[in-house]
Amino acid sequence: MAAMAAAGRALRAALPAGLWGRLAPLPGAPRRTAAHFAFQPDPAPREYGQTQKMNLFQSITSALDNALAKDPTAVVFGEDVAFGGVFRCTVGLRDKYGKDRVFNTPLCEQGIVGFGIGIAVTGATAIAEIQFADYIFPAFDQIVNEAAKYRYRSGDLFNCGSLTIRAPWGCVGHGALYHSQSPEAFFAHCPGIKIVIPRSPLQAKGLLLSCIEDKNPCIFFEPKILYRAAVEQVPVEPYNIPLSQAEVLQTGNDVTMVAWGTQVHVIKEVAAMAQEKLGVSCEVIDLRTILPWDTETICKSVAKTGRLLISHEAPLTGGFASEISSTVQEQSNSGLIVVPVFSTVSLLTAW
Amino acid sequence: MAALRALRWRRRLPGLVPRRLRGTAESPEERPQFPGASAAFSDHLEFIQPQVLAGIPVYRVMDRQGQVLRASEDPQLPKEEVLKLYRTMTLLNTMDRILYESQRQGRISFYMTNYGEEGTHVGSAAALDPNDLVFGQYREAGVLLYRGYPLELFMAQCYGNARDPGKGRQMPVHYGCAERHFVTISSPLATQIPQAVGAAYAIKRADASRAVVCYFGEGAASEGDAHAGFNFAATLECPIVFFCRNNGYAISTPTAEQYRGDGIAARGPGYGLLSIRVDGNDVFAVFNATREARRRAVAENQPFLIEAMTYRIGHHSTSDDSSAYRSVDEVNYWDKQDHPISRLRLFLERRAWWDERQERDWRKSSRKMVLEAFEQAEREPKPPPRLLFSDVYREMPPRLRRQREELERHLETYGEHYPLQHFQK
Repeated sequence: MAAMAAAGRALRAALPAGLWGRLAPLPGAPRRTAAHFAFQPDPAPREYGQTQKMNLFQSITSALDNALAKDPTAVVFGEDVAFGGVFRCTVGLRDKYGKDRVFNTPLCEQGIVGFGIGIAVTGATAIAEIQFADYIFPAFDQIVNEAAKYRYRSGDLFNCGSLTIRAPWGCVGHGALYHSQSPEAFFAHCPGIKIVIPRSPLQAKGLLLSCIEDKNPCIFFEPKILYRAAVEQVPVEPYNIPLSQAEVLQTGNDVTMVAWGTQVHVIKEVAAMAQEKLGVSCEVIDLRTILPWDTETICKSVAKTGRLLISHEAPLTGGFASEISSTVQEQSNSGLIVVPVFSTVSLLTAW
Repeated sequence: MAALRALRWRRRLPGLVPRRLRGTAESPEERPQFPGASAAFSDHLEFIQPQVLAGIPVYRVMDRQGQVLRASEDPQLPKEEVLKLYRTMTLLNTMDRILYESQRQGRISFYMTNYGEEGTHVGSAAALDPNDLVFGQYREAGVLLYRGYPLELFMAQCYGNARDPGKGRQMPVHYGCAERHFVTISSPLATQIPQAVGAAYAIKRADASRAVVCYFGEGAASEGDAHAGFNFAATLECPIVFFCRNNGYAISTPTAEQYRGDGIAARGPGYGLLSIRVDGNDVFAVFNATREARRRAVAENQPFLIEAMTYRIGHHSTSDDSSAYRSVDEVNYWDKQDHPISRLRLFLERRAWWDERQERDWRKSSRKMVLEAFEQAEREPKPPPRLLFSDVYREMPPRLRRQREELERHLETYGEHYPLQHFQK
C-alpha cells in the first residue's frame, strides 16, 4: 500500500506540469459503477424467524449452507467454488462441509452439467455452478437432450430431478457480450426443466431452496449486478418461495407490466414515473419462474387492465416476451394491446 | 541429510539456496518449479512420437481357436458360468437375427444388431457386481441380457407396446432397467460418459462397494463429453471403469478417419487413467481386465480405461447398408476367423463342456423362446395416447394438462382418422 502511494507521488512528480491535471477525472463525467436503477429492498418477513442483513451473494451462500446442512447427499461444485467462487457465493462452505462436498471441477461446462446429471441419477442432490450464463452453451446438449428428457424417455425409471444449475446472469454494466447474457429464452423452449430468476436476496434464497428441493432439474439464474448492490433482511433459517407463481408487486388498473430479475426494479421506477407524470396506474408483476410460467396471474391481470408491457434484457426477437405476449393474445377475448419491449441496456451493448 | 531436508523446505524459496548447493542435481533450480507439471528438464529438442512402442499391445487369454495361451491367465470360471456366457451370447445373436428381420418386414421401425461384439458384453458383464451401475451407448444389450432382462421386455421396447417399462417413448434398442441397474439408453453419443462419472462420485460417497461402468464406442470417444468424462473421473477420483468398444467403424467412418493416435487406450495416460487394450473377441480377456479394473477402481477410488478391440460384423443399424463402404471379404474374415462365439465354443468343446447335440438343441430352444416372446409382443397394444404428456415433469403443469385435454377432445371428434384400435385407452 505504502509502495503504491509512493509510486503515485513519483509519477506525479515525473510528469510535466499541467499533464497531471489532465489525468484527473472530468467533473460531471459518468461514474463507471453507477447502475441504471436503484434497488428497493422489500420489508423483512416476520414468518421465517430471525433475519440478517444479506446481499444477493450472501443470500445464495445462506441457501447453499441450509441445503448442505439439511441434505447429507448434497454437493456443490463448479469452477472455482472451493475458494468461495468468483462472486463469493460459496465462501466458507468448503471449510464447513468438507472437500468432498464443496469442490472444484475442471474447466468444462459440458462436464459440469453431465457430472451433475449423473450425481442426480443416483438420487443425491447436485448443485452445479456455471461461472457465467454466457458460458452455459457447451452444456446445452446435456441440459436439453439429457437432463430435461431423462424422466420422460425412461418412462420414469430414471430421473435427474435433484439437479440444480446456478449461473450469474444479466447485464452488469461493463460485461459486454460475454459477461452479460440472459439466455433464458433458449431454455424456455425445452419442456422438462424449470427456469427461475430472482429479483432480490429475499426472493433468491427462497426460490433457490425451492429449486434444490424440486424434483425436476432446475436452472437458477442470479442477476450479477445485484450480487453486492441488493441488500435486504433475509431469514437465516431455510424457507421456500413456490415456483411457477408470479408475484404482483403493485396493483394498478391501466396497464400490466411484467419483468423478471434486474428489470423488475427498472419497471418499478417506470411505474412510479408513469403515475407521477402521466397519471397512469400500473400493475407491476415479477414473473419469477420462466418455465413453467404462471399464465394465470398474467392473463388475469391483463383481463383487468387491457394492456400489457413486458420488459427484459435479452434480445427482442425470440425473447421470452414473445411467448408471454402470444399466450396472452391467444387467451384474451377483447381487443388487447400488447407491447413487448426490450431494455435500453441491450442497446448500449450493441446487440 | 539435514542440509537436504533444509533444501526441500526451501524449495519454495529458491533465492535462499546456499551458493554451494546451486547447480547440483538436488537444487530447486535444476528441477522445474511449475505448478502444472513436475517432470525433469531436457536440453534436447525432441517431439514425442504418437506411437512410442508401436502401439499398446492387445491383451488376450485365448488364441483364435479358443486355446488358452497361458494357464495362469485362465480365469478358471466354473462350467456353469462359462455355459451362461455362451448361452447369453448365442441367445443375443438369435434375438438380433429375428428382430433385424422383423424390421425388414415393417413390424418394428428400427433395430441395431450386436454381431461380433457379444464377447465385449458378456465378458464385461460377468466381471461386474450385479449392483454395479451401467451406463451404455446402444450396442450393449448383452450386458442387460446377462443380468436376466426378459426377452419379452426387450421386445416390448422394440415394439413400443404397452408393456414397455419405458412407456413406448423411444426408438427401439433404447433399453433401461432400474432394478438391474442399467440406465436407459439415449441416442446422443457420449453424453453418458460424464454422467457415469457423476454417478460414480455420488456412489463413492454413499457405498464403498459399488462401481460404475460406462460403455461407448471408439467414435463416441471423439466427442467432447468423452474428454470431459475422463478428466473429471481422474481429478475427482471416481470408482469407474470406462469400457470402449473399438469395433472399427462409426457408421461408415473407419478408425483411420476417427483418430490418428494409438486408439483410445493411448489417451488414458494423458488424463491420468490406468489403461489397457484387450482382445474384445476373447471373453476371458475381457472378463479378466474388467474384473481387475473394477476391483481396483473401487479399492483405490480411481478410474480405469479398457479399450476392447473387436469388429462390427453387422451394419450400423437397419438404416445402414455397409456394403457401401466396406468389402464383403473383410466382414467374412471376422465372421469366420475371429468371432467371440466361435472362439468360446471351441474352448467349450475342447473341455467337453459342449457338443454338437447340445448346440442343435440350444439353437432350437433359444429360437423358440425368442419367437414366442416376439409373437406375444406383436399382439400387445400400444400405450394410451395420454402418456404423451406425463413424466415431462414429475408433476404435470397446467399447460401440459390443457394440451392433454385438447388432444382428448380432438380424438373424441376426429378419432376415426387415427389408428386408435392399436392403442390402449
